[in-house]
Amino acid sequence: MIMSPGLRKFALIVHLTVSVGWIGAVIAYLALVIAAMNSADDQMVRTALTAMKLIGWYAIIPLALASLVTGLIMALGTKWGLFRHYWVIFSLVLTIIAVGILLEHMHPASFLAGVTAEAHNGGRLREALPSELLHAGVGLLVLMVVQVLNVYKPRGVTPYGWRKQQEQRTTSPAGDSVT
Amino acid sequence: MSQTQPDHESTVGKPPPTPLWVKVFGVILIVVVLLIGIMLISGGEHGPGRHMPSTQHSTEHP
Repeated sequence: MIMSPGLRKFALIVHLTVSVGWIGAVIAYLALVIAAMNSADDQMVRTALTAMKLIGWYAIIPLALASLVTGLIMALGTKWGLFRHYWVIFSLVLTIIAVGILLEHMHPASFLAGVTAEAHNGGRLREALPSELLHAGVGLLVLMVVQVLNVYKPRGVTPYGWRKQQEQRTTSPAGDSVT
Repeated sequence: MSQTQPDHESTVGKPPPTPLWVKVFGVILIVVVLLIGIMLISGGEHGPGRHMPSTQHSTEHP
């Protein structure tokens, strides 16, 4: 079902907001990881880990899920479709992978933050920070790739998309435009 | 977004060939997914817990 122009713009605003918000939240998470890694203060490390847990559960995960859902709506609600163009497929697959790794990672990350309440040795907690840096860093890289794909929309129609284009040409010879 | 309309490619009787960037991205994606799968399978317990000692001993100093 193709959305009306007004609805499509509204959906696009929501999609852009949550997607960029997701990137911003990951950058905030990374800032806390780096601050904790470079701090000699154990209290600072525990505080950063607690803040990372809150950002993860209350910002990154909701924004990631919202980005995935609104992205699906944007694809299905416009003539771009979900499986018609390669860049849409890659964006979808990369987003699903990012959300999957995020959900898989947040459970132990939350566990890690819970540990801080009883841990007295900040050095032990610091041993986990490189893993946090790796996950958040790679996650940010994936999100940037998705963003580039969404902006540049590199050419490439799938065989399914090509068939759909042929069908549309035979049914509406005057052509159509995306709204 | 720089492009607001889908591109219409090749009106000849068969679908257009797969672009090079799709092949490159596809190979990279498959390698990355395989690496993640191998890490998850071989790593057993994954995540920060794997990189740190047991919490029961967190108050003990070495």
